[in-house]
Order: sequence, then structure tokens, then C-alpha cells
Amino acid sequence: MNRSWWTIAVAVLLTAIMLFPVYWMVNVSLTRRESIRRGELLPFDFTTEHYVVVLREQLPYLGTSLLVGLGTVLVTLLVAAPASFALAKLAVPGRRLLNFMLIVAQMVPAVVMSLGFYSIYSRIGLLNTVPGLILADSTIAVPFAVMLVTAFMTGIPRELMQAAQLDGASAWRTFRSVVLPMSRNSMITAALFAFLWAWSDFLFASTLDREGGSLRPITMGIYNYIGAQNQEWGPMMATAVVASIPAAALLVVAQKYIAAGVTAGAVKD
Amino acid sequence: MTTTTRVRRGLGLSIALATGLGLAACAGGSTPEPGASGNASEGSTTAEITFWDPYPQHTEGTPWDEHVKSCAPDGSTIVRTSAPQTDLLNQLTTAVKEGTAPDVVVLDNPMMPEAAAAQLLATAEQAGIATAGIDKNLMGPGVVDGVEYGVPFGSNALGLYYNADQLEKAGVDPAAITDWASLDAAIEKTVAAGGKGITFSGIAGEEGVFQFLPWFWGSGADLSDIGTPEAVSAGQLLSGWIGNDWAPRSAATDNQSAAWDLFLTGDYAFAENGSWFASAAADTDFKTGVIPIPAKDGGVAPVPTGGEFAVAPIQTTDASDHYANAAAVIACLTEGEAALTTNETLGYLHAKPEVRAEQVAANPLWEPWVAPIEGAEGRTTELGSEYVNVSASLSEALQGALNAAGDASGVETAFQDASGY
Amino acid sequence: MSLLTTPELAAPQGTRTAPPVDGRRSRRKTTWTAVAFVAPLVIYLVLFYAYPLVQNVVMSLHRFDRFSFVNGGAPFVGFDIYAEVVAQSRFWVVVRQTVIFTTASIVLQYAIGLALAAFFHRSRFRLSATLRGLYLIPWLLPVIVSGTTWQWMMSPDTGVLNAFLGIFGADPVWWLNADNALLSVTIANIWLGVPFNLVILYSGLQNIPADLYEAAALDGAGPWQSFWRITVPLLRPVTLIALLLGLVYTLKVVDIIWIMTSGTGSSQTLATWSYGMAFGKGTSAVIRYSEASAVGTILLLAALVFGFVYIAVQRKQED
Repeated sequence: MNRSWWTIAVAVLLTAIMLFPVYWMVNVSLTRRESIRRGELLPFDFTTEHYVVVLREQLPYLGTSLLVGLGTVLVTLLVAAPASFALAKLAVPGRRLLNFMLIVAQMVPAVVMSLGFYSIYSRIGLLNTVPGLILADSTIAVPFAVMLVTAFMTGIPRELMQAAQLDGASAWRTFRSVVLPMSRNSMITAALFAFLWAWSDFLFASTLDREGGSLRPITMGIYNYIGAQNQEWGPMMATAVVASIPAAALLVVAQKYIAAGVTAGAVKD
Repeated sequence: MTTTTRVRRGLGLSIALATGLGLAACAGGSTPEPGASGNASEGSTTAEITFWDPYPQHTEGTPWDEHVKSCAPDGSTIVRTSAPQTDLLNQLTTAVKEGTAPDVVVLDNPMMPEAAAAQLLATAEQAGIATAGIDKNLMGPGVVDGVEYGVPFGSNALGLYYNADQLEKAGVDPAAITDWASLDAAIEKTVAAGGKGITFSGIAGEEGVFQFLPWFWGSGADLSDIGTPEAVSAGQLLSGWIGNDWAPRSAATDNQSAAWDLFLTGDYAFAENGSWFASAAADTDFKTGVIPIPAKDGGVAPVPTGGEFAVAPIQTTDASDHYANAAAVIACLTEGEAALTTNETLGYLHAKPEVRAEQVAANPLWEPWVAPIEGAEGRTTELGSEYVNVSASLSEALQGALNAAGDASGVETAFQDASGY
Repeated sequence: MSLLTTPELAAPQGTRTAPPVDGRRSRRKTTWTAVAFVAPLVIYLVLFYAYPLVQNVVMSLHRFDRFSFVNGGAPFVGFDIYAEVVAQSRFWVVVRQTVIFTTASIVLQYAIGLALAAFFHRSRFRLSATLRGLYLIPWLLPVIVSGTTWQWMMSPDTGVLNAFLGIFGADPVWWLNADNALLSVTIANIWLGVPFNLVILYSGLQNIPADLYEAAALDGAGPWQSFWRITVPLLRPVTLIALLLGLVYTLKVVDIIWIMTSGTGSSQTLATWSYGMAFGKGTSAVIRYSEASAVGTILLLAALVFGFVYIAVQRKQED
């Protein structure tokens, strides 16, 4: 009992240190502009006016961000999951080359990627649309997801799959009913990151969805507070706070699903 | 073994792909002689007019947004989008390349020569933009090789704001600050009385250079050579403030907005900042005033012209119609009664002297800013599109000087090194 | 949508292979199934990465300026731009800074991430999942906001970090000046990267069967021994991924550095240098597409080298 109390205390302390910059942001978002640069530990010069502004202006962007984030997760998993299975368990010709290309793909500077997309999108009419942005955002996550999920699927015991095949299951069914459930942890992890990257993307949004009106993500909503010579940090920080609440809730839920011992349990059954 | 051959085969494939795409890219680059075709007088306005500006803070439904949209000619609607200043030229570049350029773009004045040199802009004549009656110094950045591009609809300038309460407490008379020595003395007194000195923006890049130029020019230095003793003395002045703890060390990374936020705390006696904060200064928790930035040996230092140009980007298809759109919208924003509204909503002073006089008569807040704006110098007027190179070097020198924190030889080295580039 | 149907189309072929009778025939069929499974990925890679990748290289071999970027006609100059970039006195300085930034970031991100993951893995309590979820919040924040927050916390004059150090009698540090900038942006970047490592390593730990530990405990192994004998070897594939991706991401980090220092002083890395030139920002007010692409390509080559290392290690593991 005593020991677990200490554990919780340590965990909370570690979390607090890690989240101190986040606290600082909340602190600033509740401070009047006159005092934001005083560096005070608590919002002594208290105001909620930044939140009033943000709630009035930013909610549509928040919706778009959620949509883009979930869409990106979907595209990422649809491309990555079957490929990971093949790379981990089937005899893919040119597997090493493909692995190699995945690493290279992640090194292409996002700036270059966005210019390429702009050029293609302006021709096929995907500029300033949500599907266009989802596709672009998924390129941040797909190579990562393939590499991560492949690494996990490699660890699935071969006997399990052979058992399924002896039962007459096709590769597709083995994939769907044996491999997919067993890779739940890694799939959720990959989905988490796909969501987070899409959520925090600014570069693609500012190039490909600049004229999207309210169909722009929240990272573009922050633009509203960046003037030519004047930035309003109060509303910007408040936007960040408001934007992180639904996403944080989603993350906490997702974390709960990363359950322990999925592999072990399955082997035993 | 097999892996290497596979990799090699794969590389061969991608090289073949590369050459193919490369050729395609080259073939796509054949554009008709830029700027040759199209004239506003031959076109007619279209149903949708696209308008880009660098004022994202003026969101939909704000006075600026409505003002712009009210300028749509009959039968047209204006679609307005904004992006921060530093991104706008690059976005325009991409858009022109892909043939998706807007009808009107509002561009920061020092970017004009580069945009014109890259042939991103239609000439004022082509686009039917009237430039008569505009102050010559403000028009300067928009004239490239004798050709006019666009029109500056208003201007802003830098001045020295002060915290009147602090000055009073320290016994400093702002009117007595006429050169660097008297400014230093005043800062010293306010610091001795418990204040923190002066804030300014020394951030890397054009913004910090913009704030440094009044000191640079005020020292007698010239952009054609940034390694002169005069130039070094300007660096020495700012560096000395940091060394003496008369200015925050964060000045090296603060932009103008951040420097203003520091001034707002009431801890600082002075702030070098722009006329766009004039009305905000009137609302602070303490009493403020503003004086011109002094030159080294007395008198008023020239400040760089601030503010944007309304221009028409170059078009390749239906050029005349696009230019007709631009002509109609820009004329509405910059001429007649609406011109006054344009400047009042943005917090700028008009680029035509007679409208400016009207503004000052109506709003005494503008009075101290007239002289700096009329004495302002275009950053690019002397050097044209070469300016960006010099600005980059000057930015390096300034960074070095601020980091030296008052060390005279450090400042000198920074300027020598930077002028070598 | 077609991405969905492709594997299903492949399914019938797989069905027939089920009990492998003829070895050679079944291998060929598995290969086709495998191809069908990876096809969406391959198409995806070619569609979305090939063009930008090639574009990047093409740009670094031509001398582009703003005019020729728009209107075409940039002259082909071979490897001249690479030669010019490497010949600059600042090149090797920037390379050194990039190496320090990258190494310090990934080593510490990994170490802290692993320590936290192990901590949460070993001690299960009710708040555990919630706290782990909270660790990801730094990732949710737009970097423009978190970067600025770090900049303020590190303000030499009124920053909370200096105030904290002042409690212990330390002199205020000028965190973001030319000399200290590298240290400061590395700290902020480590903060940004820990959640990534924590999540990946935590799910890696979760995948290690608990009975292995139980067996080890029965054999009398202490926690330290079971960490080295079980955790480390079984975590190796995940570690490899975390380090490789950490490396790749850290090499191309721009935003956090840019917001804090605009890449001034010692905080200039190859990535920020390239970014500044590609957009004409910071102390590189002139747009230099070709130089930016050349530096970008150099970064790519660096990643390629590590890609080879990764594949070699992976191969050794399989053998």
C-alpha cells in the first residue's frame, strides 16, 4: 500500500515536470497582455477574455482538425497494415529495397513535399479541400506506421500463422483474424502518431489549404492572431489549450487500449 | 549478394524515373514572355475577385474585411485570404508558377524589387493602377528600373515610445533627448530610478534590420558599406545597452510584438516601435508619449519606410480581365473617401500628403508620426533587389553585436565579418 | 477505396496455397500474395514521394533563383552548388552542430523515454494510463506555441528557468545567445521527443510476454538481470526503430529551433540552414532554392547511410 502511494507520487511528479511548459502556456493564456512578459508563476493579472475570443472564433477549425486527424488515421492504417503484414511475414520481392525507401521517404523535407503537392493539387482541383489535406498529412505517418507495425508483426510467432493456415485460412483471413488483432498495440500506436502529426501539421495546411475558409485546421486558425507586426499571444496560447482538450481526451482513451500481454494471451489460447 | 543486385536494379529504376520527370519538368517551363500581354483597359471585371493581404488578424467580419469586400465592383464578389507577412511573397511565387495567382496582393514594401525582378508583378500601367500624388519616398520601393509596380496606400514608421510615469520619476525631460548621448543619459537615469531601460527588436532577419536601420542611418552609415566605423558605432550603441543591462538580453530574439509586450509591463522607460501601436499606447496602464528616434550627433534619424503596396500579380491567362479586377479594387481602396477608411482601419498614415493632413486634423494621435514618415527612406531605393543581400549581412552583424553585450572589439569583429560576405 | 479492395482480390490465390504440397509452386503463389499486400504501399510511395524527391535533386543541379523558379530556364550546373555549399566556411561548423544536436537529442530522448516506459510498465496503478496519455500533450500543441513558451521560460531577464536556478544561487544564464543556443534548443527538442519514445517503448514493453519475467524470477534473477537478459534483447527491434526514426526526425527538425532562435548562433543545423535558404528567412534573406535543395540532399544522403546501417543490423538480427 505504502509503496504504491510512493509510486503514484513519483509518477505525478515526473508528469508535472514534463508538463511544466504546458502549465506555462495555460498560465499565459489567463493573463492580460500587459503582464504576459512578467514571467510570474501564477496569472496574477487574471483575465478570461482570451478564451472568450477563442471560443467565438475557433470552433469550426477545431472540427476540421478532428476530421483531418481521423481521416489521416484511416488512410494511414489502410495503406500500412497490409503492407506491414507482407513485409513481416510474407516473401516480398525487393523487401530490403522497400525498407530502404521507407527510410528515404521520411527524409524528404516537408517543404519539398508541399511544393510537389501544390503543383499536383492545383491541376486536379484538390487544393483547399479536406481530402487533399488528409492525403498530404498521411505522408508524414505512412512510412513510420509501416516500419513500426512491421517491427511488431515480425514478433508474432510463426506457429500461430501456420496453425491458421493449416485450418485452411487464406492469407487475407490469417491477416484479418490472427495478425490484426494481435498487432492491436502497434496499430493503436501508429494511429496515435498519425493523428498527432495531422493535428499539429502546419506546413501542409498553410500551403495546400490556405484558402479553405473554415475548412482549415486549427493550426491555421492561430493565424488570426499573427498580424504583420503584432502577435497576440494570449489568444494563441488559449487556442492551443482549447485545441488540446478534445485531442488529449482521445489520447487518454487510446492509451487505455494499449493493453498488456496481447501476444502472450493469444499464444496461450 | 542478391540484395545488392536488387538495390542496384532499384536505383537504376529510380534514376530512369528521375530523368523522365526532370525532362517533363523542363518541358513544362516554357512560358510566354512575361508581362508582355494584357492590359486593364482591355478587360472587364469577373464574378470572383481574389485578394491576398498580410493581415490575418483582421478576420472575417472585421472592419478591414468588410472594407475590402465593399470595394467589389458591381456583379463581383471579393474572396479575401491572409497570410503572415513573411510567407506571402513565397506563396505568391508558388501561385504565379502554377497559374493560380490572385487578382490583387498586398505586399510588404521591401519585397517589391525582388518580386518585380522575378517578374511576379504586372506594371502599374498594365494593371491600371494610379500612382499620382504619392510621396516620392514612399513610392520608391515600388519603382524598379524606372518602372512603377503597384501603389503604397499608406505608411507606418518607427519612433521612440516612452513611459511618461517613469521619466517623470527619474526627472527626465523627453524633449531634451536629441542625440545618442542625451538618450544614453536618459536611459541611465531611468535605470538608476528603478526602471529596466529600453526595449527593441533585434531578431534575426528583416524585422530586426528594420529596427536597426534608424540607428544605422542615424550614425551616418550607408548601406553600400556596412563595415564602416559609423556602422560599428550604431552596433556599439545597442550592444552597450545590453552590456549595461539597459535593455533586455532577449532583444536578440524578440520580434517587434514581443518587444512591445515587454514595454507593456511598465518596467521599461523606452521602446523603439512602430506607429501601428500608437492607439494601443494610448490605452496602456501608464502614461505614454513618443519622440522621433535621434541621430548620433543630433537631429532626427531617418527611419525606413514601413507599410505595404497594393499590386497586381502577373497573369498568363485572361490577363486583361484579372488586371481590370485589380484596377477596380485598388482604385477603390486608395482613392477618394475610401482611402481614408483604408488607412484608419489599418492604423496607417496615408501615402498622399493632403489625405494625411486630413487624418491628422481628425485624430491628433497621428501628429508625432508625420515627420518620421515624411523623412523616411525606402530600404530598397538605393540598392534595389540587391538590398536583400545587404540586409542578410546586416542581420548577421547585428546578431553578433548584441551577443557581444557591449564588448567593443566583439562588435567590431561582427561588423567586419559580416561585411566580408 | 481501391486500397481496400486490393488485398481482398489477392485472397483467393492465397486460399489455394493453404496446405503447401508443392514447395516451388506455393512459394511463387505466396510471392504474388505478398505483392498484392504491399502494392498499395508501393503505389503510394511512388505517387507521393518520387516526384518531390526527384524535384529536390533536380533543383540542386540547376541554378535557380526566384525568376527561374517561376519561369523556368535555370541553367544546369552539375555539382557546382554542392561544391560551393561545402566550401563555405560555415558548412563544417553547421555539420558539427547538427551532429551534436542530433546525437544529444536522440540519446537523451531514448534514455528518458525508456526510463519512463519501464517505470510505467513495472508499476501499474489506476492513474497510469491517464498519466501516460498526458505525456503526449506536448505533441498536441502547435510548435509555434510550445516553442514560444520555451523561449519565454528561457528568457535571460524574466524567465522562469533562471528564476528557478536562482533559488540555488546560480547566475542567470543567457540561454538563447550565440554560444548557448545549441544547448537550449536541444533541451526543448528532447522535451518534444520524449513522448514519442515513451509511447513506442511502452508498447514494446507490453509486448514482452510476462511469463518470461516470471520464469526468470523463479530462476532467481534480480530486476537488473532480467532487464539486461530479457527486456534489452526483446526490445531490440523496437529500439532500432525508435533510434532510427528519432535520428531521421531530429535531422530534419526546423520549427522548434526556428521559433526559439531563428537558427542563429550555435543553433544553426543543416535543416534550419536549408529552411532559411528555401524561404529567404532569418539571416538568409535571399531565397536560395538550389543551395537549400543541395543541403537537403546532403541531409538525405546522411539518412541513407543510417538506412544502410539499419538494414545491416536488421539482417544480422534475422540471421
